Amino acid sequence: MQEQLNELIGQAKAAIAACSSANDILNARSAYLGKKSVLNGLFARLRELPQEERPAFGQQINDTRRQFEDMLSSREKELREAAWEKQHSTGGRDISMPGFRRERGSLHPLTIVSHQIHEVFLRMGFEIAEGPDIEDDFHNFDALNTPQDHPSRNLADTFYLENGMLLRTQTSTVQVRTMEMYKPPIRIISPGRCYRNDKPDPSHSPVFHQVEALVVDKGISMTDLNDTLNTFAKIMFGANIRSRIRPHFFPFTEPSAEMDISCVSCGGKGCRVCKHSGWLEMGGAGMVDPAVFSILGIDPEVYSGFAFGLGIERIAMLKYNIPDMRILFENDVRMLRQFRRESI
Amino acid sequence: MIISRNWLQKYISLPQSVDELTRILTFSGIEVEAVQELPALPDSIVTARIVSAEHIEGSDHLKVCQVDTGNGASPVQVVCGAPNCVSGMIGVLALPGTILGEIQIKQARLRGVESSGMLCSERELSISEDHAGIISLPEGTPIGQNVNELFGLPDVVFELEITPNRPDLLGYFGIARDLSASLGVQTTFPKLVQIPGGEDSTMGLNLFLEDKELCPRYTARLMRNVKVGQSPQWMKNALLRSGLRPINNVVDITNYVMLETGHPLHAFDYDKLKKRIDTDAYPAVVIRRAADNEQIEALDGGSYKLRARDLVIADGADPSAIAGVIGGKNSAISDETTRIVLESAAFAPGSVRKTSYDHKISTDSAYRFERHLTPEMAAHVSARATDLLRELAGAEPIGELMDAYPAHVEPLFIGIRPQRFSSLIGFTLSEEEIKGYLQKLGCRFVQYGDWQAIAVADQSEIVCYHAEQEKQGVTEFDTDIDCQHALWFSIPPWRVDLQREVDLIEELARLAGYDKVPSRTTTQVIMDSHAHSIRGRVLEHFLQFGFYEVLNYSFIDPEQMLALGFASEELESSILRLKNPQSSNQAAMRVSLVPQLLDNLRYNLNHGERDIRLMELAKVYHKNDSGHVEPYRLSAVLTGKETYSHWSAKSDKTGFWHLKGIVEDLFAHLDIIPEALFPAEEPYLVKSESLSWKVNGRSLASIGILHPAKADSFGIDVATLKQDIWVVDIDLDMLIDITRRPVMRFQELPRFPMVERDLSLQVPSGVDWTSLKASILEVDTNLITDVEVFDEYRGKQISEGYRSISMHIFAQDREKTLTDERVEQLIESVVKMLDTRWQIKMR
Repeated sequence: MQEQLNELIGQAKAAIAACSSANDILNARSAYLGKKSVLNGLFARLRELPQEERPAFGQQINDTRRQFEDMLSSREKELREAAWEKQHSTGGRDISMPGFRRERGSLHPLTIVSHQIHEVFLRMGFEIAEGPDIEDDFHNFDALNTPQDHPSRNLADTFYLENGMLLRTQTSTVQVRTMEMYKPPIRIISPGRCYRNDKPDPSHSPVFHQVEALVVDKGISMTDLNDTLNTFAKIMFGANIRSRIRPHFFPFTEPSAEMDISCVSCGGKGCRVCKHSGWLEMGGAGMVDPAVFSILGIDPEVYSGFAFGLGIERIAMLKYNIPDMRILFENDVRMLRQFRRESI
Repeated sequence: MIISRNWLQKYISLPQSVDELTRILTFSGIEVEAVQELPALPDSIVTARIVSAEHIEGSDHLKVCQVDTGNGASPVQVVCGAPNCVSGMIGVLALPGTILGEIQIKQARLRGVESSGMLCSERELSISEDHAGIISLPEGTPIGQNVNELFGLPDVVFELEITPNRPDLLGYFGIARDLSASLGVQTTFPKLVQIPGGEDSTMGLNLFLEDKELCPRYTARLMRNVKVGQSPQWMKNALLRSGLRPINNVVDITNYVMLETGHPLHAFDYDKLKKRIDTDAYPAVVIRRAADNEQIEALDGGSYKLRARDLVIADGADPSAIAGVIGGKNSAISDETTRIVLESAAFAPGSVRKTSYDHKISTDSAYRFERHLTPEMAAHVSARATDLLRELAGAEPIGELMDAYPAHVEPLFIGIRPQRFSSLIGFTLSEEEIKGYLQKLGCRFVQYGDWQAIAVADQSEIVCYHAEQEKQGVTEFDTDIDCQHALWFSIPPWRVDLQREVDLIEELARLAGYDKVPSRTTTQVIMDSHAHSIRGRVLEHFLQFGFYEVLNYSFIDPEQMLALGFASEELESSILRLKNPQSSNQAAMRVSLVPQLLDNLRYNLNHGERDIRLMELAKVYHKNDSGHVEPYRLSAVLTGKETYSHWSAKSDKTGFWHLKGIVEDLFAHLDIIPEALFPAEEPYLVKSESLSWKVNGRSLASIGILHPAKADSFGIDVATLKQDIWVVDIDLDMLIDITRRPVMRFQELPRFPMVERDLSLQVPSGVDWTSLKASILEVDTNLITDVEVFDEYRGKQISEGYRSISMHIFAQDREKTLTDERVEQLIESVVKMLDTRWQIKMR
């Protein structure tokens, strides 16, 4: 009987290994474990053995039964896995072919630069304030300490509407509006469109974008202006960029300054971009003129502040090496497409 | 730490108001986690003597008692079931009418016996959890008295969260000291009565401090004639209020002094301590590491197998206590104890923590030692306990305090610069204020001197350069030497947390009050963050669908608006013209972004592009009644193939559903559902191929095909192009407005399954999906959660003028599982409603 069992195990091993479908497994299961299987027959013949051998051999039959179960289920699993793999085989798929794609568009480079500038200033704790494009004389000129006979009030410089309003020539108007509505401390930037009656050329456009910064609080000094400008230049153009301020004149700041950054192209050694000066002009700045504070009812003896304005077009042109401002308003898809990478 | 106001009041006068005290504690850095007010007991509860107590026949435990309530009144008959109720004892009686918690004591009849009151257990009076028997008061307690004074009522119990850096606050003295600094009042602590110990040659101790590292100081005090018994009621009250169970007077005193000083003590039964060797005259106390696997039976009933890193207090043979953690049974105080050894010591915090953690034993003692207690206080604490033992247990101290203290802890001196306080905290304290606060904490002002960055242990190291120079007659100082004026304080030993100037600054700031710290900037919200974010998200949305952003001048040629089909009178009433335009095609401010987008489209078509998607997000400008407005819009034009594509499938031309999907996706992205749909009214769109979403009657967004004739007037020949041109126009300011909503609130997740049923309907033309869906949802707004279309079919099996719409209907009950019957009912109501309302039949 022992021999018979050994033989049976050998047979079953071979038969189960040879199974190649779910049906084969089914058949093998009934052949080796079913009611009419040899194993079952052996069990029935147990009593032919001497009493003392019965328990051990019974145990052996049970072990064999379990062994068959394991063999069948592991073969079954193998077959299932093989079938799955076969179903999922690619048949030599070219994985370099493109997947399902949605073509992305891009933001306009001026929007990209504006967003970057917003990020920089939001990081420094500024808020964004907005104001109207269509303004009155008071907010665009009077409140900014511009004399009545100042040449910038000319039709040749400023666009006027038929209704007597004008198009703001700088975003400083938002300074005025913010100081009208809020008491210090104030820490804002105001981005937006500005208008000047210039014919379009490589460095001029009748419609352009500015961002203005204004900080008013107790104890604000030119140091704060310097720090803010420096931080802005470094985040925007790179850690090795330096900034400086030098004397200038604006009616609404005293002292007034022009802001320069070291040339983004040559790093300050002098090149065509910086006209061999090593520096690039960034915009106007200064400490808010006490007269402006007084017009707006803020005590200049208690509060001080600084303001500066940056031209977005200029920053975009420097940053992306765009040679002519007019390119920015042509809206040629071939130009816009280049900025997909920057629109992320 | 749980403290009782009555107990704390022994040392400091406190504000009457519980709220005020809570606020002061919390804002001085001792957070109050819970407050429990213990009210006074009513006058109908009195002390009373049980004159007689007799078993009631037929009951195995009830007794009938005659109770004398004093004042010459005749005894009251009370039935009592307490096992300890015996004749002669003094208890506490609640007379009929008394309300105790939720029960009212009434005249009652038990087993046919009249009972006029209740003899109370401690639990019944909410004094403790003890309910084993009735209260038994010591002989001599006057009877017929109100019990409030006896039980220290009323009282208020505060549960305090003590931060781990302040072990000194784990005792009443420390809390009183801290409050004295924040309240600015004096403390009165118990005076020590130091009486020299008596002589007794039969009593002595061999003290061996073998591990100085883990035990920097060990003191032992021998006492005899100790009478172990119950503690007086006031001490029991005190311990109970702070969460400790009274045991006997000796143990209670060690606990009481621990609660007072924050420093744990332990008492051993002297007569149970063994000698080291038989020939020794006296038993031994050895502070040593345990041997590996050495056993101790502890007071908590546990048996612990010790390890070599555990520190033990052993007698000549075996461990008597796990140092700083728990005492051993073998040397415990019992009723027979008459001679004791009182231990007051200091142990290394790390070792205590490790041992207590390893053996999972948490005790009040370990809790304190692992927070670092200074060895300096050990003798003082011992003296206080000795006083109480003498007073309350008749103990007689023998000999002097045995004190093993090999390395004394030096006092610390710290200099603080008033200027530094101001610059770090933001307000100024005068030198007098600084001294006032710190001295109430137990710091002592010693002198002025130049500031030094580190604390010094020797006062002679504090110098004042300029003063020294002056003393030596020098009048011209070396100006290079920059001395910073500082106030030097000695630090009391229990403040182990005060090590540096900044630690003193923190103390001052906390005691003066963080509410005095000024704020410099007032935050004001100027920015419209919502508008900013929505604009960014709308741009990003269209970007994903392949749109390129363009920027055009703010000027347009009014003729272009006419070319788009706008009526000229209407245009004139809204358009703002420039007085000095640069050219006629820039004569006015733009009222729409569409004309320039079409110019941009033509430009790019002319440059060979075929699949073009352009958008602009910008202001337009209108006259209105109050002058003018500058609302933001987003407009877009597109033509050509769908941007979502794959080489394995043919690319679609962009069509109505694509475009509608883009805008619907935007709405979904912003979580809005503008449901009112109409054909667009823009004159340049083909009506049948257009759509506008309205909110409150105003158009929020529109999409549609640009009319070929209009395209033509912008120089785009649609016939040759063989592509439709689509236009999108969105009122961005309106979109920003309707997406301003209150903060969203999380809703409890549904606990019951969602059920789905499908329905196919034969819908007559004229009934649109929006109305269909809305009417189905209305059938039961609580149960029907969503309706989703999955198929539309027109053709053979459907009659002319009808279409078939198939949908999933989802239903869910928040309260229970929906039964099949309930769902069937629901669907039936839907079908009935559709039939009644529109004569819609199921397919």
